[in-house]
Amino acid sequence: MDQTHIRNFCIIAHIDHGKSTLADRMLQRTGTISEREMQEQFLDGMDLEREKGVTIKASAVRMAYTANDGQAYQLNLIDTPGHVDFTYEVSRALAACEGAILVVDATQGIQAQTLANLYLALDYDLEIIPVVNKVDLASARPDEVAQEIEDLIGLDAADVLPVSAKTGVGVDALLEKLVERVPSPKGDPTAPPRALIFDSHYDAYKGVIAYIRVVDGKLNKKDDLYLMATKKIVEPLEVGIFQPGMKPINQVNTGEVGYVATGLKTIRDVRVGDTLTLQSFVEEYGTDKIKRLPGYEPIKPMVFAGFFPTESDDYTLLKDALEKLQLNDASLIYEPETSQALGFGFRVGFLGLFHMEIIQERLEREYDLDLLATAPSVEYEIMRKDGEVIIIDNPADLPDPNHIDTIAEPWMHISIYSPADYIGPIMEITTRRRGEYIKMEYLDETRVLMEYLIPLSEMIVDYYDQLKSVTRGYASLDYRFDNYRPGDLVKLDVLVNGEPVDALSIIVHREQSYPRGQKLVSKLKDVIPRQMFVVPIQAAVGKKVISRANVKAMRKDVLAKCYGGDITRKRKLLEKQKKGKKRMKMVGSVEIPQEAFMTVLSLGDD
Amino acid sequence: MNPNIAPMLGMYVHIPWCPTRCIYCDFNTYVEGNPDLKAGYQAALLREIRESGSSLKRPPLNTIFFGGGTPTTLDPTQLIKLVDTVSAAFNLQADAEITTEANPGTLSLSYLRELRQGGINRLSMGVQSFSDYELKFLSRLHNSREARKAVENARAAGFENVSLDLIFNLPQQTLEQWLSNLYEAIKLEPDHLSIYSLIVEPGTPLHRQVAQGNVPQPDDDVAADMYAATIDTLAQAGYMQYEISNWAKSKGEPDWETPALASAHNLIYWRNQSYLGIGAGAFGTVNGKRWANVKRPQSYMGRVGTGGRLGLARDEATFETLTPQTAMAEHMMLGLRLVREGVNSQAFEARFGVALEAQYAEAVAYGLERNLTEWIDSPTGPRLRLTRQGRFLANQVSVQFVE
Ligand SMILES: Nc1nc2c(ncn2[C@@H]2O[C@H](COP(=O)(O)OP(=O)(O)O)[C@@H](O)[C@H]2O)c(=O)[nH]1
Ligand code: SF4
Ligand SMILES: [Mg+2]
Repeated sequence: MDQTHIRNFCIIAHIDHGKSTLADRMLQRTGTISEREMQEQFLDGMDLEREKGVTIKASAVRMAYTANDGQAYQLNLIDTPGHVDFTYEVSRALAACEGAILVVDATQGIQAQTLANLYLALDYDLEIIPVVNKVDLASARPDEVAQEIEDLIGLDAADVLPVSAKTGVGVDALLEKLVERVPSPKGDPTAPPRALIFDSHYDAYKGVIAYIRVVDGKLNKKDDLYLMATKKIVEPLEVGIFQPGMKPINQVNTGEVGYVATGLKTIRDVRVGDTLTLQSFVEEYGTDKIKRLPGYEPIKPMVFAGFFPTESDDYTLLKDALEKLQLNDASLIYEPETSQALGFGFRVGFLGLFHMEIIQERLEREYDLDLLATAPSVEYEIMRKDGEVIIIDNPADLPDPNHIDTIAEPWMHISIYSPADYIGPIMEITTRRRGEYIKMEYLDETRVLMEYLIPLSEMIVDYYDQLKSVTRGYASLDYRFDNYRPGDLVKLDVLVNGEPVDALSIIVHREQSYPRGQKLVSKLKDVIPRQMFVVPIQAAVGKKVISRANVKAMRKDVLAKCYGGDITRKRKLLEKQKKGKKRMKMVGSVEIPQEAFMTVLSLGDD
Repeated sequence: MNPNIAPMLGMYVHIPWCPTRCIYCDFNTYVEGNPDLKAGYQAALLREIRESGSSLKRPPLNTIFFGGGTPTTLDPTQLIKLVDTVSAAFNLQADAEITTEANPGTLSLSYLRELRQGGINRLSMGVQSFSDYELKFLSRLHNSREARKAVENARAAGFENVSLDLIFNLPQQTLEQWLSNLYEAIKLEPDHLSIYSLIVEPGTPLHRQVAQGNVPQPDDDVAADMYAATIDTLAQAGYMQYEISNWAKSKGEPDWETPALASAHNLIYWRNQSYLGIGAGAFGTVNGKRWANVKRPQSYMGRVGTGGRLGLARDEATFETLTPQTAMAEHMMLGLRLVREGVNSQAFEARFGVALEAQYAEAVAYGLERNLTEWIDSPTGPRLRLTRQGRFLANQVSVQFVE
């Protein structure tokens, strides 16, 4: 296809505003998939995505479209991950496009991710085609929402297309508008090839499949290729396009979107944002002569947690499962961790809390593992008195306070969009988490945008759930990393029967050590079952105990009457008790149930 | 003498009728009403007894236990007919223990005389409490005066083996209140006592009341205090605790021996021997196989009407062939309840072909280390049994033996 007839675009939307449904409808209208093949939300491949309604993995589909001008066009729809944890991945997908459809729910109006994604798209100079979706609903207010788009974004309200992704109304008009307005790709077909990798997945037969947008030149399956960031040579097994399944072709041309089956076995060799070029070219001219495509960033996990199998026998299963997940998720990093309390497991790094949740769920569901996840932690920068700076992501690794000069933690810049009714509660929960107010703006009479700086460590202790609950689900949240800042931080330890439980340590602000310590102790007292002796529970900062409570000794534990010879029932009760015991973790001679390790997760919600 | 390997066979007969339902009861019992149903059920019991006896070729039988429900909702003639049918179908031993559970409210002297004359030689009376207030709370139909009278009548009718059932740790019951119940019981000089703490079983009215907060959850610490006081009080009164919840009048038996007045039928369970279950929902364990009959009386009657041979009313879902592992674990779980005789290690090895200490090294060490179990010597070899402390925490010991 000649370059002028190619349109590369994505759809950006707040979650649930209808991105996937709209994509489905476009695939259908262009005949890319037949009615029969039409399965709701084609692009959301995994069950988990379908359930969570969030696109985790970007996809790219080529559609053939004959426009009203009678000419044939190639439309490449690049799907973007729908969560702010994956901002970098989103940005790479956007960099592969020239246009973006901005979808806004006609019943809900603009939300946090609408704007967050829009700003990203504008950073890449994308042509924005605004649509209001769900106009079939009785509660739709397309005109008001179009006006909101004009007021907040500065796009002409008259230009906003009314669409129903569900019924298909407005979809034809949208396709026409895409052809008309989205610029064709610019690249130089005669220049040495350069392609942007904007996503990847692992295929058991073909190795890592790199999703590519060819910027300059062409990629031919006969050419050996070279990955500039990871410095890997690729002998492609095939090149092809998604339609929407993988379809091998001989060559992907300038401006087109497609894939390269690299044959590489580790996904980390094929990094999102990396530049793919010709191996022979690199040999001839050296890498200095070829400009890497801009915007590449190494993977930067923000949130860390220990994952331990509930039954220690499952360690190898967990290891295998993480390996398998990593095949398809380059942003997942992990290393072995040993905890006195929890035994052998892994310290796992995530892009954000949502990412962590997804991984945990996949491990539990797809790999049938019973997991114990410790409270998530951020990465702290410790300046030691001797001048050395160390980075830790596990509170248990904090050096002796006597050796610490300062502890710095990551702060985030957050934007909250909410009905004005909830300003008070939002301020309250945010300030309690050390949030620092920046500004507040009324978006219209009823809706506000509030901006705060807040420590990431405070955000990952169920801040989002709290926000949703105090605003009855109306608020939306966007965040980005701001900077590292020193703070008066201390390690809060928990001692059970006099022994510190490493997996329960948390790093908190000194002012919060007292209330959190008390709360932790009282929750633990409730979840730790009685043992055959009194079990003292203490929370301490350094040597100073700030809270204590006792779990009383168990005094009686006997099965009732063995009635009428029903011995099986008694045995089953004991077997159940045994199973419960097996799931407990031994700290010294105390059996601690799994829930105890979760109590730290809900400390923020008083 | 080696009680653990003496081949004994018992029979449990289930009578699933009660005049009303007690608030804590989760047994397989139904409020009686339809006389045709009762008559049909009686016929089904007779048939199951005959079929079982002939399938097993009229084996020696050591005990019969009528439980329920309330067996004394039957006419004496019906109970005696059952006994007679058993002794025709089985080789009922001359010294067989034949027990019926009995509801104190229904026990006239003439009724008891008929039972005694018909061969029933042991009564297990569901007294539960001597406080009329508590009896009412439990929705029992009798009062304390009737309970005393029933014991008196039993003696007059010639019963030489009378056992009383009591329940402690009722909601809000104090230690003193419980002990006064116990003293009342002792005054009646029963031969045997079965004493259980109240369990709030799911599905019972009591459970609902507790869940709704109308009745406080019985307190475990109070239960422990009551249990301790019970052990001491009964020891002083001349009763031997031979099982976690059972006491029998002492005849000066040595420390390691179960008293002669212990319930022979229940000993069959605790010694992991064979028993047949007759009637709706009744459990039996014979030759390493266990099953229960179908639970509802109507289904039971239907099944008996069509079937033949042993296990004719079996609920297939309950059938299990006990693996050696399971049998050993049960042997420990049950045997450890016998707080005097415990588990005889030589008998264990003779039965399972592996030494107790080898099979369960860790589990045994667990109890010993925590002073929950102890080894004692006896003329038939060393025995593992619970210590006094272990009686309070038997589950913590037993759980070590299961899979
Ligand atoms: N009534 C109506 N519902 C829609 C429309 N578009 C999407 N939806 C529904 O809105 C929900 C979210 O849609 P989805 O496409 O998954 O949103 P995404 O999270 O942006 O991908 C789903 O239940 C869709 O069926 C529409 O035009 N009209
Ligand atoms: S008498 Fe016994 S079986 Fe009948 S309802 Fe009361 S507790 Fe249950
Ligand atoms: Mg979606």
